[in-house]
Amino acid sequence: MIDYAKTILSALLVLVLVSAPARAGLGQPEASVTSDQLHMKSEHRVQDFQAYKLHELTNTEGAVVREYVSPEGTVFGITWHGRSTPDMNQLLGNYVNNFATATRDQTQIRQRRGITVKTNDFVYTNFCRMGVCTGSAYAPKLLPSNVSVEVMR
Amino acid sequence: MKRQFFSAATATPFVLGVISLLALAGCGGSNSSAAKTTVVSNTATLTAGSGPTGGIVNGLYVTVTVCQHGTTTCATINNVQVDTGSIGLRLAQGTLGSVTLTPILVNNASPLEQCTQYGDTSYSWGPMELADVQIGGETASNIPVQLLGQISAPASPPSATNPTAGGVSCLETTPNPNLLGTPPGNEDTVATLGANGILGIGGFIFDCGNSCTTVSFTVGYPYYICPNGTCQAVGVPTADQIVNPVAQFTGSDNNGVMITLPSVPSSGAVSVSGTMNFGIATRTDNALGNAVIYALDPCGNFPTVNFGGNPYTDTACNNTGTGMGGFLDTGSTALFVSDANTLKSFGIFDCASGTAGFGLYCVSGGTATLSGVNLVGFGGVGSATISLNINDATTLLSPNNNNAVFNDLGGDSVTGGGGSPSTDSWDLGLPFFLGRTVFVGIAGTAMPAGVNAPNGFVAF
Repeated sequence: MIDYAKTILSALLVLVLVSAPARAGLGQPEASVTSDQLHMKSEHRVQDFQAYKLHELTNTEGAVVREYVSPEGTVFGITWHGRSTPDMNQLLGNYVNNFATATRDQTQIRQRRGITVKTNDFVYTNFCRMGVCTGSAYAPKLLPSNVSVEVMR
Repeated sequence: MKRQFFSAATATPFVLGVISLLALAGCGGSNSSAAKTTVVSNTATLTAGSGPTGGIVNGLYVTVTVCQHGTTTCATINNVQVDTGSIGLRLAQGTLGSVTLTPILVNNASPLEQCTQYGDTSYSWGPMELADVQIGGETASNIPVQLLGQISAPASPPSATNPTAGGVSCLETTPNPNLLGTPPGNEDTVATLGANGILGIGGFIFDCGNSCTTVSFTVGYPYYICPNGTCQAVGVPTADQIVNPVAQFTGSDNNGVMITLPSVPSSGAVSVSGTMNFGIATRTDNALGNAVIYALDPCGNFPTVNFGGNPYTDTACNNTGTGMGGFLDTGSTALFVSDANTLKSFGIFDCASGTAGFGLYCVSGGTATLSGVNLVGFGGVGSATISLNINDATTLLSPNNNNAVFNDLGGDSVTGGGGSPSTDSWDLGLPFFLGRTVFVGIAGTAMPAGVNAPNGFVAF
């Protein structure tokens, strides 16, 4: 009986691992949050708001990532704070390419402290000082029409 | 001109340092009047300007003498950036000339390497070595410093895409090659740093401290050894970690600094000179006087700044959001405060892409004055209001203005999502220090009498 239960649990775990999309994070389906959760080895809390859903991931290293999901089930924004900037290759989804190819005219740098990238469909900002980093990334075109960017904190 | 970035003078004794050693040698003897006349100078000269490469705005610099421990084999390095927003002395490639230091070796004689990814995705990577560090007559003996880029290990530190076998990494964001040089983001030269080094003298003793005596985290971890070219993360005792040189000064002038800079006209100045006195309330020349003392929160920030009816709270520090309250930072080139949307009634807006002020605030209708900015200390220790002027950055930085020091350069703090007070901060950069005397007290050192600030303080 116990072994049977274990087998089911393992099967479920494998299912979760296998079904997690290759790309997680910004612009991806809500289910991709599970992939980020596994990557961060974090606890996962979900809050339902009228016009969006908030998934909050917190791990034992003190990193916090919040993913904002539209009623259509797409991650439209992410914020983070903690000791370091989290792994952006994981969290930016396909938008990591926007970050990698941004031009000088699209990028504001605060020497060694912070960076802001603004393009038509991608806004990213990160700032670190004295062992604390905070930041956010969102896709304006994915933002639900009745949601203000100010909800992302 | 480019050869004047530094002067690596081997076997050149630093006069005041030698006097201090003589004074120490005399310790244990009688309290002779001769000993009193050899008290070291606790004052260093500061220069605010465009830096050794000429391209920096609002840079603050000092001369640091770095010696082989216990010898007079020293390099005197000018144009080292004074940074109250970081911890530790980091030196650009080539600034030591022929002077060699003592590598810190751990785990079977592997050189200890340190990595930091900065908020703009650039990073530093290089070995930790021991040196005697002399500034303005004060000496920190045999302390760890970082030699940027002078590395025999892999050219790039462990990254999220190429972590150690144990899954630990330093670089979590891939630097954009369009923006940050070759290799992208590696700040280890005078040109990439805009300085001959960084003197981090913020309000903490250590950069990492107890969190790095064991490998207690895996994302953004700083300490590695790389035997045979393969890096692994290592825990290191605090004695081997990058450290605030001021906190390690011999004697009692090691609880903070007092920075005094002159005021400049609203159109700026080419450069100005000021002073940095070491120690706070340890001598007659570093007394707090009537300065308002603000205790800081555990992250080294004002927990709250109130302006225009809105609180700007350090929510990142109490783990509830991405706001950072406020802070004083000589390593910030401008007053990065609030956001353009919130400040639009003052005529403030973000300078357009392609203009000289891009990344900073522009202003329509002349100088904007933000008055009644209320800075609040931790636990309510310290509260007062200040006034800030913001001028049009595209005008100030126009190519026909040679000035590089401005007290009215501003910018959007944009530390969070949409640009609203809940995610903004008040980063009071170098402009704030012009025309003021500012004290930065180091947490964990001997506080001046009556100061209750377990996380350090600022005063002005």
